[in-house]
This record gives sequence, C-alpha cells and structure tokens, in this order.
Amino acid sequence: MNFIDLLMLGFGEAMTLQNLSFCLLGALLGTLIGVLPGIGPTATIAVLLPITFFLPPLAGIIMLAGIYYGAQYGGSTTAILVNLPGEASAVVTTLDGYQMAQQGRAGAALAVAALGSFFAGTVATFAIAIAGPMLSQFALSFGPAEYVALMVFGLLAATILASGPVLKAIGMILVGLLLGMVGTDQATGAERLTFGAVELFDGIDFIVIAIGLFGFSEIIANLERSGSEGVTVAPITRLWPTRDDFRRSWRAVLRGTGLGTLLGLLPGGGATLASFSAYSLEKRVSRHPEQFGKGVVEGVAAPEAANNAAAQSSFIPLLTLGIPSNNMMAMMLSAFMIHGITPGPSVLTNQPEIFWGLVASMWIGNLLLVVINLPMIGLWVKLLNVPYRLLYPAILLFCCIGVYSMNNRIFDVMLAAGFGLLGYAFRKAKCEPGPLLLGFVLGPLLEANLRRTLLIEQGDPSIFVERPISLVMLIATVALLAMMIFPAFRKKREEAFQEEEA
Amino acid sequence: MAGPGVPNKGDRPDLLTAAIFIGLGALGLWQTSALDGGTLAMMGPGYLPRVVCGLLIAIGLVVGFNAMRREAVAIDPIKLRPVIVITLSIVVFAYAATHAGFVLASLFLIIAGSLADPGGKWRTTLLLAAGLTLFGALVFVYGLGVQVPLWPF
Repeated sequence: MNFIDLLMLGFGEAMTLQNLSFCLLGALLGTLIGVLPGIGPTATIAVLLPITFFLPPLAGIIMLAGIYYGAQYGGSTTAILVNLPGEASAVVTTLDGYQMAQQGRAGAALAVAALGSFFAGTVATFAIAIAGPMLSQFALSFGPAEYVALMVFGLLAATILASGPVLKAIGMILVGLLLGMVGTDQATGAERLTFGAVELFDGIDFIVIAIGLFGFSEIIANLERSGSEGVTVAPITRLWPTRDDFRRSWRAVLRGTGLGTLLGLLPGGGATLASFSAYSLEKRVSRHPEQFGKGVVEGVAAPEAANNAAAQSSFIPLLTLGIPSNNMMAMMLSAFMIHGITPGPSVLTNQPEIFWGLVASMWIGNLLLVVINLPMIGLWVKLLNVPYRLLYPAILLFCCIGVYSMNNRIFDVMLAAGFGLLGYAFRKAKCEPGPLLLGFVLGPLLEANLRRTLLIEQGDPSIFVERPISLVMLIATVALLAMMIFPAFRKKREEAFQEEEA
Repeated sequence: MAGPGVPNKGDRPDLLTAAIFIGLGALGLWQTSALDGGTLAMMGPGYLPRVVCGLLIAIGLVVGFNAMRREAVAIDPIKLRPVIVITLSIVVFAYAATHAGFVLASLFLIIAGSLADPGGKWRTTLLLAAGLTLFGALVFVYGLGVQVPLWPF
C-alpha cells in the first residue's frame, strides 16, 4: 500500500463515529485540564489509563493522545488571559501573551496561539506519517544489542534535556529500574524484591506508580500551597488578529513548528523544552529583541506552535522504536500495553490501522481544538472560577477507583497511597518523578535485551562496539555525559532552566 | 525540619535525596542478597538488581557529599494535615469499597478528603459527595463494569 492508501485507511478508522467521539472527548478533556490549574495532563492520563482498558484499543489511545495535545491548547488560554500557565509548556506564553491581553489584544493573542498551534499540529502529523514508516523500516534491522544501546542513550539523554540536576535525574532512573525489577524474574522465575508479598509476584502495576506519584502526591502538594483565590480575567476583545499580526507571526510560527518538531523527537524533549527554545530563538532572530516581554505577537506565536508540534512529534520514537522519550510517552506506552500491543516497528506492519488511525485522529483532533477553543473561549474562562476545593475530591475519587478497578484489590490502593507518600518525599527533595517513570517502563525491556545479548555473545560485551548502530548510540551517550562534566555547557544548561523555573 | 540553629552548610533537599537513594539501594541489596548472581554470560536474577542498587548508593553518596559542602537550603515547609488526611482517607476507602460497598466508601472518601482543606462549607461538601458518588456509581460501576459491590448488604 502506498502513502495515500495508508493515510486513507487511517482517516477511515479515525472517522468512525466511535473514534471520532473519543477524539472529541479527549480534546475536550485536554482543554479542560489545560485551563484548570493544578491538574496536569500526566495526572489526568494516569487517572484515565485504567478506564481505557474497557475501551477498544484505538479509541482509548486516540482519547489519551487528544488529552495530551489538547492540554497544550488549553494551557495557553489561561496563560494569556490570567497570566497563569495551565501547563508547564505555556509558561513562556505568559510573557508576551498576558502583556498583549493587558493592551486589550487578548483576542488576537488567543487566535494567533490557536491558529499557530493548528498549523504546527498539521505539520507534525505529516512528519509522523512520513518519518514513521521510514524509521520503523530502519528499526526492523535492530537486534538486542542495538536496543540496549538505544535505551541507554534514550534514558540518559532524557535526564540531560529534562530540567533539574542530572545526577538526581539519573538516580531517579535507577529507582525506576529497580521498581521495574520487582516481581518474578522473566528468565529464571525467581522472586525478586517482593518482600514475600504474593501481590507483588506479578510486579508493580504502572498505574499504581503513576497515580501514586502524579495523582495523589500532586493533590497533597497543591493543598499545601493554599491560596486558590479568584482570578481576574482580562476582557476578550475582537478575536480576529490584524493583518499586521499575521504578517509578523507567520514566520515565527514556521520557525516554532520546525524547532518543535525536531525537539519533540529527542529523548527528554517535549512540549516544555520546545516552547522555551522557540521563544529564545525568536528573541535572537528578531530585529527588535527589546520588545519581547512587552506584548509582541511573535512571542506568542512561536512557543505555541513549538509546544504543539513537539507534543505530537514526541510520538514518533514511541510508535516506531517502542521507546518513550518522556513521561507522557511512558504513559502512552502503557496504554498500548494494556491492550497487549507493544509499540514498535511491528505495529506498522501488523496493525497499520492503529498507527494510521492515530495519526489521522491527531489531525482531526487539532481541527476540533481550534473549534473548541476559539468560539467557546468564554465558557472555558468561566471554568477558571471553579475553586480547587471542589475539584480535588473528584480527582481523588477517580484516582482511587482507577487503581482499585485494575485487580479489585485493596493492596493496589494501599501501594498507590504509599507511592503518593514517596512522591511527596521526592517533591520535598526536589526530585522530578518523570525519569523514574521512564526507567520503570524501559527497565524490563533493557534487562531482557541486555541478558539476551550477553547470552548470545557468551558474556563478551564487545558486541556493543562492534555493531555500528550500537556504537554510534554509545558514543552519543558518552559525548552527552562528557558535556555534562564540561563546566561551560553545564552552566549554559542551568541558565536555560533557571528561566524556566522563574 | 529546618528550625533555628541550622548550620549554614548543607542543602537539605539534596541530603533528603541522598537519604532516599541510599536507603532504597540498601533495601534492594538486602532483598536480593539471597538471589543467584550468575555470570555475565548467564545472568542470574540477582545480577542486575545488585548493579542498579550499587549505582544508586554511589549516586546517593555523591549527591550527599556535594550537598554538605553547599550553602544551607531549607526544605519547603511541611503541612502535615493534607498528607495525613489524604493518605488515611485513601486507605480507608480501599477497605470500605471491598467490605462496605462503593456508595459508603465514596461518600467517606469525599467527606474525609475534604477535611484536608479547612474552611469548606458542610453543605457544599455533602452536595459534592452525593453528586460524585452518584456519578461514580453510574459511570464506573454500571457504565464501565468495575467489579465492586454498591451496598454493604
């Protein structure tokens, strides 16, 4: 089948009434949680993961993906109107977006953000459609040694590109790897790290960890930080941007889209990194950088395009290689696994309707989001007045039912509560829980491939440098680590993230 | 945690990180001590867990030593109320759902959980609890077929 046929197959799948409604539901939910501060897409997807078990595979995955990119749209709405980023990726949008709103140009900022995001989403969808099959062809030649090198590279690169101190992030990966080893050893059948608890013989469920670390501990952390008073919303004036806005922003959208698509591909990349990089790139190429932060339309267009492009292109490594590049993709990986689908090159050949249906649904979802966001903006703004006091009991209930429904076991809920406490301790220790999730998901794969490789090679690790692909990956890993030790680069990275934390 | 009289050295969040890493690593080593390590060619179940635990302890030590040399940074203040209330209500929910049915468990979870944030109105809380319980019963128990009894009898 050629490209067009496959894309048609995808649209055929995505346009069925069921998949279309789950796409709409995902986009709506994504916008909702993007608008509401205090609930992020990671926690939402963690809560909804167990529910997708009851849905057909494609419908569930379409919905979860919709939540992820929908949150990018919703997050920018609050960033512009109330100077409150709904998502981390919308933090830079507040800089110029809120200024524009102060000057009475909120409508233009919202429209540029939505249209820029839609354009970026369209480009990124095509990038997935084109790059996906190519990369997966390439990945079919991978043996276990290549997978080991790829996973080591992916895990380490993810820590370096993500925020926070590298050493702590590596430690968090190791904690994740360790948690992934709990249960029956695949190769020998021995019980490991179970403390004799029968309930742990099958290992710890991803959902237990995700809901504990992201759901429960987020609720506790939000409640500690009280002060959910009402907010003042900037008035929305005419929605359509002026001709001047268009003229100034199209180039910024193009640059943001390109940068975002590329950064989304990298391990550890994703929406947040992309929006920050796009903003600083725009500032650098601008002829009037001193105006940034005072309400220039480029400062809204570029990061908004970039975060949406990156949110979507980060699906590429997951769908083609089976390697998640950030914690959102780790969630998506487990959403596939719930249905017994292992993402990777074989999905494209054996179940093309899943891959192409998802790709097509992303484009449809982006179109739906423009409709959801622009005309209905007033409705979303009203939601900003819902106090957290009314929201968190609902989140708490959904988290509890979600964990309980997996095996109908008290034990799982208790374990999730325990991970909630651990997540709380990690927050106090200023450790990002994201790398832990990556380590947990990739751990069993890494171990199985490593043992297989060494078994075939009879304990001779030189295979990793003899195979060219594996060698390149390992050199890249060493280079990344060397860069971290190299002080000049480390300083630059810290500066880049200081802006983010501010 | 960070009371008066704290010495001016020591990054507390990082020291806590070091304690967590070293603690988990040691716990892992203790749990895998009985397992067969095997060789590089025929790895036993204990080989990689021990490697990971060793690395974790090493990283914990490095983070800890660096933290001791840095300027003092205090841990963000801890409010015990949300931590205890939320955790306890989750645990009780799990037992109640199995033994007393979803309706009572859910009502309890929302009413008890609301106590984590003082200052809420009772009327709102009760309405919220009733509404969410109804929604949960319809969507999760009837709609999605989660296997949980609705009533205690």
